[in-house]
Amino acid sequence: MTDIARLVRSAQAGDGDAFAELYQRFARMVHGVVLARIARTEVDDVVQDVFMAAFERLGELRDPAAFGGWLAAIARNRAADHGRRLMPVHPVVDAPAPARAHEQAEAHAILAVIRALPEAYSETLVLRLVEGMTGEEIAERTGLTPGSVRVNLHRGMKLLREKLS
Amino acid sequence: MSDYLWDKRGEADAEIERLEQTLGGFAQATPPPPLDLSKRPPARRGFSTGALLIAASLALAVGGAVFMLIERRSPAWQVTTAAGRGTLSVGEWLDTHDGEATVAVADIGSLTVEPGARLRLLSTRAGHHRMELARGTMHATIWAPPNQFFVETPSTLAVDLGCAYTLTVDEDGGGLVTVQVGWVGFTAGDRESFIPAGFAAVTRPGVGPGTPYSERAGNTYRQSLALIDLAEWSADAQHALTMVLLQSQERDEVTLWHLLQRVPAFERDRVFNRLAVFVPPPTGVTLDGIRAGDRRMLDAWWDALGLGTTSLWRTWSQQWKDDVNARRGRL
Repeated sequence: MTDIARLVRSAQAGDGDAFAELYQRFARMVHGVVLARIARTEVDDVVQDVFMAAFERLGELRDPAAFGGWLAAIARNRAADHGRRLMPVHPVVDAPAPARAHEQAEAHAILAVIRALPEAYSETLVLRLVEGMTGEEIAERTGLTPGSVRVNLHRGMKLLREKLS
Repeated sequence: MSDYLWDKRGEADAEIERLEQTLGGFAQATPPPPLDLSKRPPARRGFSTGALLIAASLALAVGGAVFMLIERRSPAWQVTTAAGRGTLSVGEWLDTHDGEATVAVADIGSLTVEPGARLRLLSTRAGHHRMELARGTMHATIWAPPNQFFVETPSTLAVDLGCAYTLTVDEDGGGLVTVQVGWVGFTAGDRESFIPAGFAAVTRPGVGPGTPYSERAGNTYRQSLALIDLAEWSADAQHALTMVLLQSQERDEVTLWHLLQRVPAFERDRVFNRLAVFVPPPTGVTLDGIRAGDRRMLDAWWDALGLGTTSLWRTWSQQWKDDVNARRGRL
C-alpha cells in the first residue's frame, strides 16, 4: 500500500491529521485544476470547498490508491458548478493587479490563452507552468497515466506556442 | 518534446522558462492556507458488501415508490456547452455537433463529450444512472460507488466500477474503452471483459467485448487479440495466440486471464502455462479445471492477480445480467 493510500485509509477512519497531510500534498494540484477553469480571485474559496467535499465523501472512496483521480474529479466538478452559478457563459476574466501592471497584464493574457485551449491541455499546462509540477507529479496527483500527461503537455504546449506566436 | 517540459531536467527551453516566471505568481501559496474542517465532520459512508446487500434489499422491498419519488426529484442532467447551459431529460438526445459539452451525471460524476457525439439519457435515479452513447467520444469521471452508472452502446453495456474512463463508439457501432482510474466492466450476452486502469478493450457488433490489453501493448499484440476475439478458431487464430503468448509480459496478466476463458479448451494449456510464469496458479487451481472452464478456479486465479476480489465482481456481474434481462423483458 502506498503512502498516500495509507493516509487515505487513516483519514477514512477519522484521522484529521492524515487528511491535513493529504491537503498539504494535493493542494497544489487542486489549485491548478480549479485555476484552469475559474477566475483567480475565486480559486482559493473553491479549493477549500473541494477539500471540504472530499472530507465529507471520503467514505465513498473504495480504492484509496485512486484518491488523486477522485479528488481531481471533484475539483473539476466544483469548478464547473462554480462557473455555472456565474452564468451566462462568458470567458473567465481575472481583474488585473495594480503592481507591475505590464507583467501582470501579460500573465493574465497568457493564462486566458491557456484556459481557451481544450480542457485536458489547459489543466495540464496550468499544473506544469503555473504550479510548477513535473509531468510525473501531475500524473501521480491527478491519477492520469504518465502517457496521457505527456501527450497533453506536448500537444498543449504546441498549441500554446502557436497561439502566442 | 523537450525533457525540460516533462521533468525540468536537461537543457532549459527559454520560452517555457519565461512562461514559468510569468505565470508563477498565480501558483498555490506554499504552504497552502489552513483548512478548517471543524464545521463538517466526516461522513461515515464507507460501503461494504453487507451494506450494499442491505440497501439492495430495502430498495427491492419498496422499489416502485422509491423510484417514483426519486425520479421526480432528479429527472434530468445538467449540460453545459459554449452556447450556455441546459438540461437533458430522460429520453432526450444530445448531439454535440461542432462543440464540446460537459454533462453532470446527477451528483455522481461528470462527462466531457467531444464534438460529433450523440447520446441519450435513459434513466436517472438515486443509485442508478443509465445512458446510451450512439456515437462519438465521452470522457467519464464517476465518484459514486461501483455499479451505479451504465452506458449502453450498440455492441455492449459499459458498467462503471468506480473510475475515470474514455469511451468511443464509431459509426459501425464498434467501441473502444480506455480506463484511467478504477475499473470498467464491458458485458454483452454471456461475454464479459473486466478492464482495469491502464488497460483498454474494444467491442464489436455481433461479437461483444474484446479481450482487454495494456495501453502499452504494441500494434501486433492488439491485432493478434482482435483476431482471437473475432475468429472462429482457425490456423490464423492459433498463430495469433502464439504471437500473444510470446509477447506477453508481466503487465499482460489481465489479458492472459481473459484468454483462459476465450480460447478453445485444447488451447488453454498454453495460456495456463504462460500466465503461470507471471502469477502462479493458487492452491487448488489445476490445469484440468481451467481446461474445463471451472469458474471457481478462474476466480481464485483472478484474486491472485491482486486487482480486487471476484466476489464483488460476480455480485455486480449478476446484477448487470438481472438488469439486462429485466430490460429485455420490458421491450
